[in-house]
Amino acid sequence: MIQTGLIQSAHNDLLTDVAYDFYGLRLATCSLDQRIKVWQVDESNGNWNVEDDWKASMLEDAWAHPEFGTILASASFDRTVKIWEQTSFASTTDSQTNGAGAGSPQAASCGSSRWVERAVLVDARGTVRAVEFAPHHFGLKLATVSSDNRVRIYKCLEQSSLATWQLSEEVDVSTLPSASLSSSYSVAFATPTQTSATLEGASATLVAQALQQSQNPATQGRPGMGNREADGGWCISWCKDRYWGEIIAAGCGVSGAIKIIQLSPSRRPITLLTLDPSPSPVGLPTEAGTLLASDGDTPTPFAITSVAWAPSCGRSYHLIATGGRDGHVRIWRVKPAEDEADVEGEGGDPKWSANVVADFDHHKSAVGRVEWNITGTVLSSAGNDGRVRLWKATIGNVWRTAGSIGVEQSEDTQDADVNMGENAIAE
Amino acid sequence: MSSIDHHLNLFPPLIQVGHAEQFIQSGKTLLSAQSPLNQSYAVFPSARKDASSIKASGVEEQPIFFASSETSPSAERRLFIGDTSIIFAALQNLTNTAQSRGQEWLHSQETHNVIRKLTLDYVNFTRECWIHTSQTSVQSQGSSQFSGDHYRSLYTCLALFAVLYVPEYGYEDAPVGDDLMEWLNVHFIEPSTEEGDYLSGLDRPWEDETFWPYLVRVTLRGLSKAATFFLATLSIHPSDNLRRLAQRLSPLVQSQPHLQSFEAERDFAYASHRWKDKVKALRIELDSVSESDRHDGIENWWDRLSDIVGILEGRNEVIRRVCEDLGADWREISVSWGVFADARLRRQDLPEVASQVLDDMPQDPTNLEDMVHAALFSGDPAKALSHAAQLDPWLAAHMADLMQALSLIEKDANEDSGLSIRDFYVLGYAQYLHADPALWRITVAYMFSCGETGVRSADEVLMHVPLKLRSVGSILHGQGEQNGADNLKSGDLAGVVKDINATCYEYQREEVRRTICRIAAQTFVQEKEYGLALSYSSSAEDWPGLGRVVDRVLQEYINAGPAQFIRYVAGIAPSLQALRMQSGAQGIFVHRLMFAVRYAEFHQRLGNQDLQDAAWDLVSMFQDGLSPKSWWAVLLCDSQQLLQHDATLLFPYAGACVLLQHLEEVIARTDQGSGDEHLRVLIAKLGSGGTTEALHALQGVRLSLAKYFARCTMIGTGGKQILERKFIAAM
Repeated sequence: MIQTGLIQSAHNDLLTDVAYDFYGLRLATCSLDQRIKVWQVDESNGNWNVEDDWKASMLEDAWAHPEFGTILASASFDRTVKIWEQTSFASTTDSQTNGAGAGSPQAASCGSSRWVERAVLVDARGTVRAVEFAPHHFGLKLATVSSDNRVRIYKCLEQSSLATWQLSEEVDVSTLPSASLSSSYSVAFATPTQTSATLEGASATLVAQALQQSQNPATQGRPGMGNREADGGWCISWCKDRYWGEIIAAGCGVSGAIKIIQLSPSRRPITLLTLDPSPSPVGLPTEAGTLLASDGDTPTPFAITSVAWAPSCGRSYHLIATGGRDGHVRIWRVKPAEDEADVEGEGGDPKWSANVVADFDHHKSAVGRVEWNITGTVLSSAGNDGRVRLWKATIGNVWRTAGSIGVEQSEDTQDADVNMGENAIAE
Repeated sequence: MSSIDHHLNLFPPLIQVGHAEQFIQSGKTLLSAQSPLNQSYAVFPSARKDASSIKASGVEEQPIFFASSETSPSAERRLFIGDTSIIFAALQNLTNTAQSRGQEWLHSQETHNVIRKLTLDYVNFTRECWIHTSQTSVQSQGSSQFSGDHYRSLYTCLALFAVLYVPEYGYEDAPVGDDLMEWLNVHFIEPSTEEGDYLSGLDRPWEDETFWPYLVRVTLRGLSKAATFFLATLSIHPSDNLRRLAQRLSPLVQSQPHLQSFEAERDFAYASHRWKDKVKALRIELDSVSESDRHDGIENWWDRLSDIVGILEGRNEVIRRVCEDLGADWREISVSWGVFADARLRRQDLPEVASQVLDDMPQDPTNLEDMVHAALFSGDPAKALSHAAQLDPWLAAHMADLMQALSLIEKDANEDSGLSIRDFYVLGYAQYLHADPALWRITVAYMFSCGETGVRSADEVLMHVPLKLRSVGSILHGQGEQNGADNLKSGDLAGVVKDINATCYEYQREEVRRTICRIAAQTFVQEKEYGLALSYSSSAEDWPGLGRVVDRVLQEYINAGPAQFIRYVAGIAPSLQALRMQSGAQGIFVHRLMFAVRYAEFHQRLGNQDLQDAAWDLVSMFQDGLSPKSWWAVLLCDSQQLLQHDATLLFPYAGACVLLQHLEEVIARTDQGSGDEHLRVLIAKLGSGGTTEALHALQGVRLSLAKYFARCTMIGTGGKQILERKFIAAM
């Protein structure tokens, strides 16, 4: 672990997100100071310089695959998602007559390039908490999740202008039933146990939500955005693999579970699998019971704040990492349904299955983000302990800590770059 | 080297020692983003999403830190990585050949010799690197990333691996003692040359306290020349007994049989046996020395001599005690065992000896080199790899690669991870290499050798290699790169894109290649290098993408007018010919390209006042069905000035009819509500006016057409036939 660089003053207020572009040569940053900045690294010396800087109130941003151009999507508190495109020439007079429908585009001009607002997606009825472009082989598509518990999938209808985005799916994650319940024709394939489990699962979530909302006024010291918004977690992550079709992992509210949702043009979205770390994933009624029982003292439902689907890189299974308010970083090993089961199974839909292969509570406090490297071999997690922790699998496929990064003053500040080890004692 | 368990505190610190709690309570937290470029992270203080309310916390400086889990290799390390990758590639070739020629071939003498040679290549290379870094680091302190000592440890590990696991063909079952002693003497020199020099300068060296320990050590190490030299100095020792015994001992030390001097092991064994008998005879002689003459006033020389003879006799307890006294470690005891106690010690018997020694004198767990050696001595290659990985991922990867070729480690994949031992370490090394984006070629070469997982990982790395297409003009570069950029502009593949393309071809990664071409095409569209964009699109066989490029060019007409448009089309026109030849090209998009080219030709003629031909072009674009519906209205508006041309009637009657027919259709369709489809481009062209203005413009065309038909009837009293004749004459 070594420090390789620093932007001393990136913004004038706390940052809300930093996103690398596809190549890692640029950074899009957004902050509470209501500005988006795009930085470019000078590869000769590793310094980051502002390339563009414009006003926009944003919470999270994401880059599209470069085969679609230099495109950013940003999600905001104001319930909107905006699509920005970098145009190369400041001199261009193209006012994008067919673009940005609503009048003149908001241009951010700075230096030789400028970013133009191409579209505003206004369907959300709550803060848009996360945006992620779909893997490029599915075309220019965007997924968003907002605090109204909805995952929305947008499809760009006109790549050349980026102006028209069709809301192709809108899914209420909290109530989306499992495969068996999604449509009438597949009910027959469901096993009775699964059906009941899912039903109860859904109702349990509703109970939890109702509870949350009823407790809203009771919780003191949480003015402003309200308890639900503050305690919940809304996150999405696309399955990077092409083979299985469009699949997205999504979590919402305080359910503590992640749903693996399959999107298909021919039928409505279905939940393939629910990743629920509670002791009895099927026995959700118990969880509801606990919730009710703990009515008196503070209930401990916890939200999953971040989910990350690892690039599968030829592995026969998927890895999905989650980070939650319970302070746990979990890695799920998800096995897709075997094709053979489809043929053999007597009326049984091929099932996806998952188990937890790693569960770390090193952060000892809420985990804010989990993220994989491009080959799905290193997981990073950031928590409220003020540390970023790295995780790697050993040769025996056991996940272990592989270092951590903090911003605490070292006991020995002589040489910040090489100061390692001493502080590791705290581990 | 190992970054495991390391904690890094970033600078400047944001939290005072032990005040993390306050940081969090103030509504802040720490977040990070992983860079796809290398193994680095952007770390930044952020607003907690679960904070009571997210609002501006006032103006303050907000930093972003960057940290990497690996140090980017320095120049000499890169050289080392690059050069050893050639050896790796050679072994890769060999194992690939083995796959086609069968495992038996892999175990043949020929193959074994190649593997041995490659192993020794690695050994020699690490040696070179050790010498080089030791020299340079003396000259310029701290310039080299890895100390000479680091490469020395790689050298000792690989050399030991070569001795124990990659013997000459047919020698697998031969005694290993002498080879091990040679390894020990090369890598762990004891006693030091300085000691010897000092002692040899003395008149009566035995009076020096270092004399006997020195003599014992050189005997233990089988350094017979030094031993006989100092035994000779005893010829002037006051004790008769010692003089005599030293004289007897000297030839014995010198004549210890060594395996390499014998043709057959049987002869070696016989010679060893006879030599041992002589040592025994000396022991009897030694024992006969009276107690009174065993001390020379400085030292009990008899005890020391007895130790030496004890070593030669191969007495376990003596070797062990002597080693402890001398501060020698487990390695020296184990190796001496193989030279003196059991001269016929086999490789397969070594682990038992090592384990006994290690029980009493364990290896140093903080010294990874020691741990690797111990695992190799103990016959546990897999364990050696796990320590090697911590020492340097380079070592683990290359040793694992050799081990797999020699069938020393499990070849089957771990059920959980799907990776074999070798692949695990090779991929680990590749990941380390990924810390330096400039090493992508080597990174993917290692990855591609690791089965499906490796191949797909390599795909990811390849796809994320920055193409540097924008570098042209935007950033100043060296002359070389500038040339590359020029080539790029002139349509040749050059620089990084060319390399990636070549790599994709080499490993047959067509999907990746196409993605990269699509990205390049998109980049060139942004740069308005439409010709290049088009050729990359067609290289990716991305026909919809090709269509989008053409759309962009057409958009140029709308945005910037005919002059620009003609210029851009000149850039893409040559592709049309090539595309028509290409069988796979999808008609519809090529069709659109044809329209763009024809439309540009039309404007060119218009600009050149070649009005007759321009009119002909216009009509034929309608007649050939080349023009997309959305462009009809634009074409019709273009016709207006031709219709109004006073000098001649430019359109034949039938041509004018074609115009009228299309005009009627546009207007009718707009009435029916599909105005967007038909008027979209015209509206864009006209600017802010919208549908009303567009329709107004079309009404103007209609009026011109009406006048034109009126003129037709006036001039050609004979009706349309005459007009057509006139038209033909004009041609």
